[in-house]
Amino acid sequence: MQNENKISKISRRQLIKTAAASVVIMGSPAFIRNLHADDPIKIGVLSPVTGAWTVYGKAHSRGFELAVEEINAAGGVLGRPIEMVLADYQTDRRLVVEQANRLLRQERVDLLAGTFSSADRNAAGPIVKAADKLLLYPTWYEGQIEEYYPGVCNENIFMFGPEPTQQVWPFMEYMCNKFGKKFFMIGSDYAWPQVTNMFTKEKLKELGGETVGEVYIPFNTPQYESVLRQIRQAKPDIIFHSLTGSDTVNFRKQLVAAGMKNDFTLWTVDDEEVVTSGLGHEVSSGTYVSFDYFMTIKHQNNKDFLDRYQKRYGSDALMNTVGVGMYNAAHMGAMAIEKAGKVDTSSIREALKGIKFDKAPQGTVEMRALDHQAVLPSYLMRVREGWSSVNDMFEQVQTVARAVPQDARCNLPL
Amino acid sequence: MQNVLTKISGEAKFELLIFLALASIPLVFSGYILFILPQYMLFGLLAVSLSILWGLTGIISFGQAGFFAIGAYAIGIVVKSTFLMNSAILGILLGIIVSAVIAGVVGYFLFSAKVKATYFVLATLALSIIIEQLAKSQKEITGGWNGLFVDRISISFGNLLEYSLFNDIPMYYFTLLLTIIAYALIKFLTTSNFGKILRGIRENEDRILALGYNTSIYKTLIFCVSGALAGFAGSIYGTHAGFVDPSLARVLFSTEVIVWVAIGGRNSIIGSFLGGILVASLANYLNSITPEYWQLIIGIVFIAVVILFKGGLAGGLEEIYHRLKSKNYVSARNP
Amino acid sequence: MELAASVLLDTTLITLTLALAAFGLAIIYGLIGVINMGHGAMLTLGAYFTWAGLQLEIPFVLSVILSGFIVGFIGLLFEHWIIKRFYNSPYETLLLTWAFFLVTTELIKIVFGSDFRTVVNPYPGSIDLGFYKIPTYRTLICVFTAFVILSTGFVFFRTSTGIKIRAMIQNREMASLLGLNISLTYKIIFGFGCFMAGLAGGLVAPMLSVSPYMGDMYLVRSFFVVIVGGIGQILSGTIIGSFVIGGLETIVALFSDQVIAQVAVFFFAIVILRIRPQGIFSEK
Repeated sequence: MQNENKISKISRRQLIKTAAASVVIMGSPAFIRNLHADDPIKIGVLSPVTGAWTVYGKAHSRGFELAVEEINAAGGVLGRPIEMVLADYQTDRRLVVEQANRLLRQERVDLLAGTFSSADRNAAGPIVKAADKLLLYPTWYEGQIEEYYPGVCNENIFMFGPEPTQQVWPFMEYMCNKFGKKFFMIGSDYAWPQVTNMFTKEKLKELGGETVGEVYIPFNTPQYESVLRQIRQAKPDIIFHSLTGSDTVNFRKQLVAAGMKNDFTLWTVDDEEVVTSGLGHEVSSGTYVSFDYFMTIKHQNNKDFLDRYQKRYGSDALMNTVGVGMYNAAHMGAMAIEKAGKVDTSSIREALKGIKFDKAPQGTVEMRALDHQAVLPSYLMRVREGWSSVNDMFEQVQTVARAVPQDARCNLPL
Repeated sequence: MQNVLTKISGEAKFELLIFLALASIPLVFSGYILFILPQYMLFGLLAVSLSILWGLTGIISFGQAGFFAIGAYAIGIVVKSTFLMNSAILGILLGIIVSAVIAGVVGYFLFSAKVKATYFVLATLALSIIIEQLAKSQKEITGGWNGLFVDRISISFGNLLEYSLFNDIPMYYFTLLLTIIAYALIKFLTTSNFGKILRGIRENEDRILALGYNTSIYKTLIFCVSGALAGFAGSIYGTHAGFVDPSLARVLFSTEVIVWVAIGGRNSIIGSFLGGILVASLANYLNSITPEYWQLIIGIVFIAVVILFKGGLAGGLEEIYHRLKSKNYVSARNP
Repeated sequence: MELAASVLLDTTLITLTLALAAFGLAIIYGLIGVINMGHGAMLTLGAYFTWAGLQLEIPFVLSVILSGFIVGFIGLLFEHWIIKRFYNSPYETLLLTWAFFLVTTELIKIVFGSDFRTVVNPYPGSIDLGFYKIPTYRTLICVFTAFVILSTGFVFFRTSTGIKIRAMIQNREMASLLGLNISLTYKIIFGFGCFMAGLAGGLVAPMLSVSPYMGDMYLVRSFFVVIVGGIGQILSGTIIGSFVIGGLETIVALFSDQVIAQVAVFFFAIVILRIRPQGIFSEK
């Protein structure tokens, strides 16, 4: 049933597109077309529509699509509509390279948005550098260090998601005071969890706490007995959790099955709406989660946003921090183009610096000029006991209206 | 004999035609195709690296992507860490050598014990997973899961001439030239005495053994060549793509190579080569139309090829060619 | 002492869970020599059918059993239409079962979508041993695995059909002279292996995230269980193989990190392939 919808939606969209294109071609003489007056501004969107991260891909591409539709309904940018060209990279870095180049060289898009994980973004980094086009990146990530140039610290990449000093630091004191200062860190074996933990440890030390364990798990590990034993022996107050994707679910289900859920407080920086849905309420309730956005944020912007989103994609459609990152990226990109009055890369880049979007679902978002890092609100939530859907999943514990990240460790300014 | 000769020359003509077509594409087209086609040629070589195992010798490897990744990492690491004049060439050589050595060690280790062919498949599967895991975990060297950036190389000839591969057209012809050289070497190898022995091993290993050949050495050698070719293609890929990460070694990519070769024609070198190029192009094209369904379609096509058309595309074309030939022959005889 | 006891308990849990996941593969591989690359997809299918059963408010145990039967039936169809023609060419069966994996994974994504699905743990809680708590559900699964393996052993060694099947592995012609319908037996064995894979998928579903790729986690491990344990040694071999693969990973992880542990296991499996292709403890 769901799929029939999908097919008809795609073909309907293509139909409209074709129809619109033919109207444009038939309706306007050739010399007008040369002025590019009605030509759309093309934005290429790289989403993991299929492959391992399909679960994130839906909110990811929909967030951008919704924003583009809103912008076009309001008359477009510079009098021109925005056309979103979606490319699926199947959660495969090889295909990020292939598809990013297709968007730039064949579709001739004016800028790019998307990619999901840091590795995906890194794959696109050299491409946007060489082609001198912008990439708007939506995901929570590990922050920027010059060593990973051109994946980060790249003047053509703008970050719309939070980094650890925004996602974790604001709530460290609250968590330590409430539950204790002994942290056990468990994360997936790659850069984001490691850097996040590095920052967390730094702050923890400042607060007089200690790290009683730190383990990194390879992707797709089905069994966690030895880790659970380590946790039992270390007797932490807080399990600080940065596993990703299906490993999160595997670990947490086994933690609960081992009867350890009530012995420790669990604080996760990965489990937004998608993963928490996958955990179910028996496993997830009572855990703490921090992000820049949740569907249950009490903010007028969010209420309005979700009204539009659910009207467009159905009342059970998921949204999360990445989807909102894409949504903000589209709006702020469009604002920058409007402000610049032109669509060449350097004009948009200059205009994006310092742009402020006060209609963002999570509150006010500001693009810092110095290091292309968004200044965002940050929320600490507790997963509600017995939640039934994404609409009542989290309850607000702490709020920071303006979480300012540490300066990126790049050659600043970008 | 006459028949064999005409067949060979027919195939050679076809190969020449393909490479001429590839060489003339930049004269006609521009833009994306000039960027992406070199990658697909390298995938074509990767497919060839499997077909000399599978079609020629009767060994399947589920680990070709592992060697491809080794090549890509080799050039990435060398270009990053050395400031030697010809670090690019060093990187490519290192990719070839490391892949060949690993293939040689693993190959000899297994073949000399007469490990069953299906077991060999599982061992290559494990090998590819080990390479992927090591690439993920050795962060200081490989950049870990977040990957490694590789600059486009430039090739210098002494102090006289430096040939930068930053732009699409130089990169295109550079890749094409290397592809043709590698292809010709492989072709030479398969038509040589060595190739004949390998074919003999495929048909009846015991007989070749009885004739006094040490078959495990031959199998090890061809696995070495195959690994070297895959590593070579990978090293060029690394500098072309600009980015390497552990997913390059994953089993799903290895099995994609198997699909290319099965569809292109496992017994034909040119068929496998084209299989790599065509299936990858088709995947890219269908990706923009129906991302949800193309993998399903590819899977079904793969089943159909394995069950019904063992020769793949190349086998089909050959059959048509022969039918036309014999028709001409018949009509020539009966005017 | 307590550490040793807890490691031992953990290892037992890991061994038996892995044995459950690998059992279907061991049966098909050991008895009819087919490397079922589709095994992972069959586990995944079992988990999804169990999830679907729960959505229809069918009780958990019944859902799991039904999943086993549906996956077994799919396996039978696959065997009947395709695999049975290729019993004499191991490569073709390997490729076709891999194609089964590709196609099934795509179909799962199309039919069930790719969101994470949750199968709620039907027997939450844990058994407190004083020094250690072991999860109730895991314990039940392990008891069940032991039961399945032992009862298969009974059929295999104590019934006339079992004796005929064992004869068949040794010598097909002789077995058919004994009145065994070879092609039917192959069909039943293949179907039973798929049934076990589906059942295992349903049973592990409450411990894992149900997603289109969940079976991959167990696929490669299962192969090595079978290899290390020894082909044809489907009973003791599966247990020993699981113990070595699962236990080795746990023990190496105690002293180094998880990645090294996994690499060590795979490396070990390659070495075993070479030096004892018949399995580490089997005589032949």
